[in-house]
Amino acid sequence: MTKSLTLLTGSLLLAATALNAAEDRRERVLNDRKEVEAAGHWIYNDLPKGFAEAARTGRPLLIVVRCVP
Amino acid sequence: MDEFVCVRLVQANALDLTLFQFDYDLTFAVFFMNTDRTIYGRYGTRSERKDATKDISIESFREALAAALALHKHYPANKTSLAGKQPRPTQFKTPDDFPSLAGKYKPALDYEGKVVQSCMHCHQVRDAERRFFRDERKPIADDVLYPYPMPNAVGLSLDPKEKAKVKDVAPGSAAQKAGFKVADEILSLEGQPIISIADVQWVLHNASDASEPATLNAQVVRGRKKINLTLDLGRDWRRHSDIAWRTTTWDLRRMAAGGLVLEDSTAEERHDARLPDDGLALRVKYVGEYGEHAVAKKAGFKKDDVLVSVDRQTTHLTESELFRYLLQNKMPGEKISVTVLRGGERINLELPMQ
Repeated sequence: MTKSLTLLTGSLLLAATALNAAEDRRERVLNDRKEVEAAGHWIYNDLPKGFAEAARTGRPLLIVVRCVP
Repeated sequence: MDEFVCVRLVQANALDLTLFQFDYDLTFAVFFMNTDRTIYGRYGTRSERKDATKDISIESFREALAAALALHKHYPANKTSLAGKQPRPTQFKTPDDFPSLAGKYKPALDYEGKVVQSCMHCHQVRDAERRFFRDERKPIADDVLYPYPMPNAVGLSLDPKEKAKVKDVAPGSAAQKAGFKVADEILSLEGQPIISIADVQWVLHNASDASEPATLNAQVVRGRKKINLTLDLGRDWRRHSDIAWRTTTWDLRRMAAGGLVLEDSTAEERHDARLPDDGLALRVKYVGEYGEHAVAKKAGFKKDDVLVSVDRQTTHLTESELFRYLLQNKMPGEKISVTVLRGGERINLELPMQ
């Protein structure tokens, strides 16, 4: 009985930790878009807009492929 | 940076693979490009999992930016020299075209729903490419197993704080035989202007495969002189690359080792186990626990077993070399005879290929 309870508690703790990690990741992904777009220097996840802006200004493109950490 | 139109892409979903060809194990890859889609150069290099500063730096990024601007300034007069930098024809135009990824991800991230789960990672593209070979029961080609080789595969160590400056030349290497010297700055390779270590890797990646030796023409600046060098890449040159650090190697471990992570035994471990220095002695560092990564565990392999014979091969192999042997010679469904050393005893096991 004690062993089962320990296993159940352990599983619940693990699940809670995984849930927290997933929530953290979700927050990071959402905040990344918010912060980068607010800073204004980067075109976020919109390649056609980048090409259009480069064509309009004559500037070269700097395209960064970067996962949200 | 203000002189560029800066675009940040955070997903591989629907990535145009006819344009964005790079080392998919990177978590940070940069393209410098004209609006007509002509690529001026690439930036972003990685050779290990933890220490990014080993391969990239703010200093070399700044140099690459300046060099890209210079190429843009002289464009299109320099278009011919940029021809080799352009993407190669590819069978799969987007990740969704790979059979193992088809229909799994939508083109855009689901910001209103499960945004994390909706994101395809770049490394999944390489995983899918290898899986395609495997599912077709074809040997995985060298350039797919060893993508974007680091310059040290040909004996060149480049300074991460410079564009492409030689920091060291390995004795006896192809680079030494070609005449490369410390402090040489690589101006061009195969006629392509080099603005970063990633550009060097691009040339190496696209050099001929293992079936025929390749020759690369280089121009370096040494002191004030421009010098032309010829780099002869011997047969199998890619196989000097270490792929153990790569995220995509995780799936190779599933295919070739049933989820085992292997590490070469140290000289001390070999001595204690009375194993020869030139013999196979791969220690099981980790045994996968779940799903297809638990196949070796189910077959009886345990942590700290030492593989001393695999398919009757007993000569020294690194984990990367063993994977290449198995993935080019053994197909899913086959079972490979393996002898492990466990507590001083030799035990025979069968390792299923996937």
